[in-house]
Amino acid sequence: MSDLLMDAANNLNNESIREWKRAGNRVVGYTCSYVPDELFFAAGILPYRIRGFGATEATIGDTYFGPFICSLPKAMLQLAGEGRYDFLDGAIITPGCDAMRRLDECWRKAGEDIDGIVPKFFFHFGVPHKYADYTLKWFVEEIIRLKTAVEKHFGVTIEQEKLLDAIRLYNRSRDLLDRLDELRTCEAPAVSGTDALAAVLAGTAMPHDEYTKRLDGFIQERKSNAVNYRGRVRLMLVGSASDDVNLVRLIEGDRVVVVADNLCFGSRFQADRVDESGDPIQALARRYLARNDCPRMFGEYESRLTTLMDKAARAGVEGVILQNIRFCDLHGAENGLFERDLEAAGIPCLRIEREYGPLVETGRLKMRVDAFLERIWQRRKAS
Amino acid sequence: MITAGCDVGSLTSKAVILKDGRILKTAIIKSRPKPADSAVEVMNQALSQAGLSMGDISSCVGTGYGRDRIPFVSDTATEIACHGRGAHWLVPSARTVIDIGGQDCKAIRLDAGGGMLKFTANDKCASGTGRFLEVMARLLGIELSEIGGMSAESKSPITLASACTVWAQADVIQHLNNRVPVADIAAGINNAMAARMAIIVNGIGCERDVVMTGGVAKNAGVVAALEKMLGLRIKRISRSDPQLAGAIGAALIAVDREKGGAA
Repeated sequence: MSDLLMDAANNLNNESIREWKRAGNRVVGYTCSYVPDELFFAAGILPYRIRGFGATEATIGDTYFGPFICSLPKAMLQLAGEGRYDFLDGAIITPGCDAMRRLDECWRKAGEDIDGIVPKFFFHFGVPHKYADYTLKWFVEEIIRLKTAVEKHFGVTIEQEKLLDAIRLYNRSRDLLDRLDELRTCEAPAVSGTDALAAVLAGTAMPHDEYTKRLDGFIQERKSNAVNYRGRVRLMLVGSASDDVNLVRLIEGDRVVVVADNLCFGSRFQADRVDESGDPIQALARRYLARNDCPRMFGEYESRLTTLMDKAARAGVEGVILQNIRFCDLHGAENGLFERDLEAAGIPCLRIEREYGPLVETGRLKMRVDAFLERIWQRRKAS
Repeated sequence: MITAGCDVGSLTSKAVILKDGRILKTAIIKSRPKPADSAVEVMNQALSQAGLSMGDISSCVGTGYGRDRIPFVSDTATEIACHGRGAHWLVPSARTVIDIGGQDCKAIRLDAGGGMLKFTANDKCASGTGRFLEVMARLLGIELSEIGGMSAESKSPITLASACTVWAQADVIQHLNNRVPVADIAAGINNAMAARMAIIVNGIGCERDVVMTGGVAKNAGVVAALEKMLGLRIKRISRSDPQLAGAIGAALIAVDREKGGAA
């Protein structure tokens, strides 16, 4: 994988961002996969997915959130409080879940105590929890409200043609990620789960035109590479936000290949396409609200289960790791249902509850994964 | 064929030497800070009792949290596989194994042949583990081995409001200050421990026969409370010390692997 992609996946203020900023350009961060990147790209602004990656303590996060809540938004606030998001010109908070919605209030409150940590453009972007005609109408209005606010604050005009160009570019990167997926899900995977996650993550943290070129190069390189992961145990990784490639690396070791995932930082990005014909705002609203497979959406469990079953079948998955961050009600509850239904369908599952942040629980985690592998090898021998 | 199993846990390390399907010698020691030191010491104890040297062991499987740092093992297996294998050998009718070790607890479902069907382990903290009991025994000024028998002496067990080891300590101190009999406090501690474990066991679905392994299986108070909460009898292990089940399983897996079989 190119150093630039790996750098973007593993460093908050990576080289691409620094270069972008040196050229006098602006970066707006967002916290959830329901924010349409295309809108910012069309405005000449770099959309950047805010992460909690690299937080080593929670002194600031705990102060404003309290202890009994998901550690992801706390880690995001921690990094903001430490000044590690000073390169952001704006931040958009969404009610992805209750914990993430509270980041809006906690970040603002922390900003009263720590100077300069709240970007000048700070926007709460409402996202409905249901997909229906009336919620779509609301979501369209929210996107227009966001568009207007961006235009006013940054003194730009988001023209329809530029928005369509951005949609085409992002769709192109989704096409490429589908091709990458083919290299990952085939019988002799040429791409590890670690590299696949890094490839998607990089797209959330660097200019997308440059990203698309690099991604294309990475796919070509892997196509011509003789190395593959045939024979390893084929797992799928599902659940709470996971943006640490080291977690996947730990799971994979030298005996596993994560051939599929359904993570919001992972392959959920390339699900479906934004319609390139008609009104672009309507098209963005339809894609981002309808095809995101997050348990935050009410009444869509069956469809999410179908997605998992399809992915498992396509990738020849031998087991599914259902992980959730501690106190994550959405994924915690849904993982219980997935476990019930996937096991009933003959797919072994391992449920893991973990803390978001530095990988400090590696021994505990590794023991569970190893025991899960023992279960799968036992099935292999029996079949 | 002589094989061995070495289980380096967080609190104790265990070694078992197996000859032709029978336990030859065993050893249990308090774990040292370095897993390799614990492994060498406990294995040397077992070997010396048996009048053997490491060269007499055809293969040795390591398990426990320190399994990857044991210098003399030929292979490793997780404590989940080892406790499952060991429990099935000790009680062939076992379908659910409850293992409470020093700092984690696990529930394992087995098929009729002893194969692992499913497992779960505590994810949150040290509550419901041997460490919890150790801390509480120290607080009560009694030996860890005494705490289990005290449930039978209790007339009115206390209720611990918190499952957290640290908060539970504060509760226990409060009860001691209020001159609550030690047996009632100990019984409350055993009940709290069983309650934590019952949640984990019910999470994977409990199927008869149920056996308990690990050091806490020797705590009669926890076992009795758990039986009450699960509404079934837990089969006692009589062939060996239940604390040795992981090391026994490791020695059996060593046999299986030598024969090229399962596990």
